[in-house]
Amino acid sequence: MGEHVTLPGILRRFGPLAGLVLMCAALGAASEHFLTVDNLLNVFRQSSVNALLGLGQLVVIVTAGIDLSVGSILGLCCVLAALLLKAGVPAWLAIPAVLAAGALLGAVNGVLLTRLRLPHPFIPTLGMMNVARGLALVVSGGFPISELPGGFRFWGAGEVAGIPMPVVVVVFCCVVFHLFLTRTTVGRDVYAIGGNRQAARLSGIPVERRLNLVYAISGAMAAAGAVVLAGRMNSGFPLAGVGAELDSIAAVVIGGGSFFGGSGTVQGTLVGALIMGVLRNGLNLLNVSPYWQTVVIGAVIVAAVWVDVLRQRAAAGAAANKKAAAK
Amino acid sequence: MKPEALLRLVDVRKSFGGVPALAGAELEVRRGEVHALVGENGAGKSTLMNIAAGVVRPDAGAVIWEGREVALRTPREAQELGIAFVHQELALAPQLSAGENIFLGRHPSRGGWVRWKEIDRRARELVEELGGDIDPRHPVAELSIGERQLVEIARALAFDARLIIMDEPTAPLEMRESARLLEAVARLRERGVSVIYITHRLKEVYQGPDRVTVMRDGRTVATAAVREMPREELVRHMVGRAVTEYFPARAPRRDTREALRLEKFTDHGSFRDVSLRVGRGEVVGLAGLAGAGRTELLEAVFGARARRAGRVYIHGQEARIRTPEDAVRHGIALVPDDRKHKGLIPGAPVRWNMMLASARRLLIDSAHEEKAARHMAEELRIRAAGTAQPVAQLSGGNQQKVVLARWLLAGAEVFLLDEPTRGVDVGAKAEIYEIIHGLAARGAAVLLASSELEEILHLADRVVVMHRGRIAGELPACQAGEERIMHLATGGKQSWASM
Repeated sequence: MGEHVTLPGILRRFGPLAGLVLMCAALGAASEHFLTVDNLLNVFRQSSVNALLGLGQLVVIVTAGIDLSVGSILGLCCVLAALLLKAGVPAWLAIPAVLAAGALLGAVNGVLLTRLRLPHPFIPTLGMMNVARGLALVVSGGFPISELPGGFRFWGAGEVAGIPMPVVVVVFCCVVFHLFLTRTTVGRDVYAIGGNRQAARLSGIPVERRLNLVYAISGAMAAAGAVVLAGRMNSGFPLAGVGAELDSIAAVVIGGGSFFGGSGTVQGTLVGALIMGVLRNGLNLLNVSPYWQTVVIGAVIVAAVWVDVLRQRAAAGAAANKKAAAK
Repeated sequence: MKPEALLRLVDVRKSFGGVPALAGAELEVRRGEVHALVGENGAGKSTLMNIAAGVVRPDAGAVIWEGREVALRTPREAQELGIAFVHQELALAPQLSAGENIFLGRHPSRGGWVRWKEIDRRARELVEELGGDIDPRHPVAELSIGERQLVEIARALAFDARLIIMDEPTAPLEMRESARLLEAVARLRERGVSVIYITHRLKEVYQGPDRVTVMRDGRTVATAAVREMPREELVRHMVGRAVTEYFPARAPRRDTREALRLEKFTDHGSFRDVSLRVGRGEVVGLAGLAGAGRTELLEAVFGARARRAGRVYIHGQEARIRTPEDAVRHGIALVPDDRKHKGLIPGAPVRWNMMLASARRLLIDSAHEEKAARHMAEELRIRAAGTAQPVAQLSGGNQQKVVLARWLLAGAEVFLLDEPTRGVDVGAKAEIYEIIHGLAARGAAVLLASSELEEILHLADRVVVMHRGRIAGELPACQAGEERIMHLATGGKQSWASM
């Protein structure tokens, strides 16, 4: 996707990043503890689950969809992982099994959307949000399942060369998703479907199959989040990830993704997740009450999208001028 | 009293971000006249009309209303003077009734209570006055586009408009509805209302308007009474040069083998028992009124719409086509009737839009795509700032060429073209005609649905006419006149037509 080098284009690409850098600078000035390697790695680790869910959510939002079920799928997958491990299944087998379960639950969302032709992805994923959460509680009896084997906990709590595993996982997934979205034809189909579903269909793109895949990816990413989270907590907790779907949507949107579809990047989403993590961490360091943190995060979401609206308006103005100039 | 000017625009100039859109435009509209305004896309017609309607403020020049210079700062101020703008994209509330739309924002009321009966009565009067027949209680969403336009015009009348600006009102309409609209325009004139009528269908300039103004490159290049402006001269003013081959000559067809055959295509109401064939290198015109089922038929052939029965044969072999993917695999291309909603991904670059239907390997080969896209842009003379420019920024004609390029790159051999020159200006139209000829010369089969009979008559080897979902008749192009086609399209018998 070639882009012209224009001011709005640069803003669009680097605006969220600039926001993150400014925020870090301000917090660094306010608290001497903020800008330390340890703390920054900590922020990254705390943001990792949201970043993983955000990547899945990104792919969905690019198609002009929404996935409300990722928090619940994460909860169910936490429980499933713990149960498998407790039943003696080794980690190297339990992890792919849980990822497959997440993908399957996501694919169900996709099939409900494309086969039953439910009017909007809001509906099947809202249903799945309740079903998956309910199943997590049923299967676990409502209690956390603790004390997991070390081979599994490594993915949430381990380190490689001093870098926390969740950070490694997020970086790896970001690279894969970036290549998928920008370098493969399937990734481009995803943008095409969000850009104009009718035109995509009438160009022979298998829209329904792509949508099924997209929701399966989102479900699998929720499962990946579950592996990291359950590993870190050393427990499969059925109420894990309540509200996480909204955080992941916020990450995508803060990162420049649009609900109208056809736009959104991996870089933006990662930055969006980090902005939310930095805010929480920084406000903690400044001893702001968690209650107020929620208020601030809400305001930041609205402000980020508002800035995006302003940017788009500027871009539209520039485009109109260019169009006039072309004539 | 000699005819006096109602509105005069004098030496109007306007730039957007340093780019001049108007560089000395002039327009004079007299009381009770219908004034056609023509020019290619980008000539400045819309900008000039936006200035007359108070949407855009000019950099220089004067707007003179009834001999008095006025400054129109907002659309509201223009409305209060009596200037109404019927936009291309209609500004109606679809869920509300026709009557309510007509009086939107000015509901007749007594003591705060809306007087629905009066809305009904007055709405009915206004619509009837325009020669229409619409139940004012019907929601606008259920009306045809032509009927919606009547509602918009009625709304202008309800506001006591004395000048109504219509921006390409017939572009989305087929012949019969267009005729009805022209009739409404004639009635407006009888009432003493002036009309500025922007159109790309040059024929319409000679079907009602009193005078015509031609714009080119932001300037007014000619104004004359319609009868003193023959068509060739009109086109010359618009394009800035003589256009000798508006409809280019066709090379004779050599290959006589069959490329596409439909047998007994039937769906649930839009079309029935349609069988037809198109040979290699042949252009078959598909004529008919709106609602005759042409768009539905083409979409069904392409697998984009369900059908109840019907077989497709490609090069003599039956092809199982259930989805657009199947169609693309069989080398079928569809250029849809609605570019914006069905044809393009507006925010995506030109190159991307071109590659949308091409052979799909897993990884994108950017270098190869760039080369192919550039080649196409050159061959089809697509005017864009580069293959990375978002396609939404291109003119209608260039956008349509991008859609055509997509199918050429995909190697299609059967082209289903649905209104391929809708919303395309004169110069680009001629180029698209050449592309269609080029397709046929290369041996492709073309099925061309168009509401412009002129286009079908000049481009097609054979004309198939549809009426209410059935084939009403078939004529060789050399024998098909506009009257014969219309006769069949409106339900007349073939016997008369083939006499």
